[in-house]
Amino acid sequence: MTAATLPKPDHLSIDIRPGRALGKLELGELWRYRELLYFLILRELKIRYRQAAIGAAWALIQPIMTVAIFSVVFGHFAKMPSGGVPYPIFAFTAVLPWMYFAEAVRRGSTGLVGDSDLIRKIYFPRLLVPLAMVAAPLIDFAAGFVVLLAILAFYQVQITIYILLLPLFLLVALGLSLSVALWLGPLSVRFRDVMHALPFVIQVWMYASPIAYPMAIVPERWRLLYSLNPMVGVIEGFRWVLLRDGHPDFRAIAISCVIISACLVGGLVYFKKMERSFADVI
Amino acid sequence: MRTSSDPADSIAIEARGLGKKYRLQGRGRRHDTVRDILASAFTAALKGGRGPNRPAESFWALKDVSFQIRHGENVGVLGLNGAGKSTLLKVLSRVTAPTTGQARIHGRLGSLLEVGTGFHGELTGRENIFLYGAILGMKKSETERKFEEIVAFAELDEFINMPVKRYSSGMYVRLAFAVAAHLEPDILLLDEVLSVGDLPFQRKCMEFARNLQKRRATIILVSHNMFSIKSMCDRVIYLRGGRVQFDGATEKGVELYEADCRLSAVPWASHEAADWPIAITDVTVMDETHAPRAIFDHGERMRVRVDYTTTRSVDAPNFVISIVRSDGVACCCYSTELDGIVVTPSSGRGVIELLTPPLALISEHYRIEILVREKGFQKLICAQGGGSFHVRHPMLDTHFGVFHEPGAWELEDGRRPATLRTIAMGAGS
Repeated sequence: MTAATLPKPDHLSIDIRPGRALGKLELGELWRYRELLYFLILRELKIRYRQAAIGAAWALIQPIMTVAIFSVVFGHFAKMPSGGVPYPIFAFTAVLPWMYFAEAVRRGSTGLVGDSDLIRKIYFPRLLVPLAMVAAPLIDFAAGFVVLLAILAFYQVQITIYILLLPLFLLVALGLSLSVALWLGPLSVRFRDVMHALPFVIQVWMYASPIAYPMAIVPERWRLLYSLNPMVGVIEGFRWVLLRDGHPDFRAIAISCVIISACLVGGLVYFKKMERSFADVI
Repeated sequence: MRTSSDPADSIAIEARGLGKKYRLQGRGRRHDTVRDILASAFTAALKGGRGPNRPAESFWALKDVSFQIRHGENVGVLGLNGAGKSTLLKVLSRVTAPTTGQARIHGRLGSLLEVGTGFHGELTGRENIFLYGAILGMKKSETERKFEEIVAFAELDEFINMPVKRYSSGMYVRLAFAVAAHLEPDILLLDEVLSVGDLPFQRKCMEFARNLQKRRATIILVSHNMFSIKSMCDRVIYLRGGRVQFDGATEKGVELYEADCRLSAVPWASHEAADWPIAITDVTVMDETHAPRAIFDHGERMRVRVDYTTTRSVDAPNFVISIVRSDGVACCCYSTELDGIVVTPSSGRGVIELLTPPLALISEHYRIEILVREKGFQKLICAQGGGSFHVRHPMLDTHFGVFHEPGAWELEDGRRPATLRTIAMGAGS
């Protein structure tokens, strides 16, 4: 490229070709549009609670109410064991990462359809949509985390250095929700069934995770199968880091990481393969 | 990959054998569900076939499209509806991938395929500027630097902190165009966008396009407005049925397009066409001496000859010949009934001819639509687009309104003013 023909030296030429089954991941393109990711996340945050009377307070009310209900039903009525810590704390440490995960999966999987106008008309790296949708609920998580810290202080639970490991588990939850979104997003572009099935799937998934109950009540012989649910590792991790509740189930955590990595790589390839036809079928 | 110093040095867009195939099945059925697929697989199985036994029907929206566009060239893309214009722009802007062929684009590409699709109603104008800018590929710092300019261009200073859902459609469009305009692309793809907004804003957009031209930017313009094509483009790619039918000088391409447009359906009336007793077979635009003509000077008279056939008798049909400007403004119409003429169509073929008064229309491009109604402007019994023409005048354009007629003037003391030969009267000379 000579300077005389193209005004700016950083301009790249673009090649347009028919879709290939296993195209490049075009991560450079993603990097070039990184600011769009920022604005998409910002958009999500801004519109989420706009024109809601109590606005962002919803981010706090939802987990608090969920924990309150769990405490009454499972803690008080059902006398669910909670590993020696007060049940509300026990529940909150799991509800928080779970709500993040559920919200990230929900938005990540339906975000493409929500932005269908954009996808039909304008080019931008499509991967940014699930990325932004999965990242945006982190703010709600942060707000809920502050509440959790307050509750921990109320019950006089000591916070230890282990809390520094928490972002790691959060990252695992993010990776998991992203990998689910990468599979379900393109699927929902083609089949709107995904949007109807999703709430149900999330609900089943919730009961398959140790949120209202401790992992200890799962019979030993089912543990391995149970640990195939990657959220088990995440939630166990959260409890271990915050409550030092026994020793962590490293096997569950390792299984989570392997499954998530596999889903993530597969999801990326699948997404890139499908995105070429988004504009035509959405 | 960077463009190397290849022989295509000053090529902005190069397309080779571009094709785009759409499957007809599922087209228009937006909410396919798994059930549909299961159902069709099931019926297929019942019929004893393996899978769906008839191949999915498909059609080529684009077929074997090749061209080269150099930097600084402005190219109009023409074609009737469904000819593949929008598909071409979608492929070039990377919204959708081609089925065959390839294209290479050198330089920063900006596309404005539909204004304002990136906007979110809940966000304010300010927030949307940044979001939309980022969608179009602008850096945040760049948007910040140009922010004031964008707001000024859109003329939205006092509304910039208001959610855009409260904007009027005009404001919406202005804001969207203003952002896109400040992208400073090397190559700009425009799809019918110059025809939105009010007249002053349209003028601003044209001005903006001319500035881009000065910077040697390349503009690809899809429009049904021959006026903007002619004033902006020196080259036209004419698409018919997804193929490049013509690629060359604007005049020739527009001629081809207009020939295809002649006798096209009138869009708003076409769904009623079921059982019309009258059909227009030909429309001829001529001058006073019956010589076919397409360009008239302001003040000349025009003849429109309409050939028609009748399939059953109609009592005193009212023939209406209306003149519609290229931007869709219905300028005037001539009606047999209003002029007190009773048409008694003989069965079979008939001819009717209109001689207009001196054309007072401003300099623009017009098309003719022929409507036939039952007596007393009742039920529509025929509608047909037919023919088009230009009116030429060195000065009178859309800024002067729809038509121009001289007025009679008096001064306050009752004196008649001294006259001079006006520019408006001396059009043809």
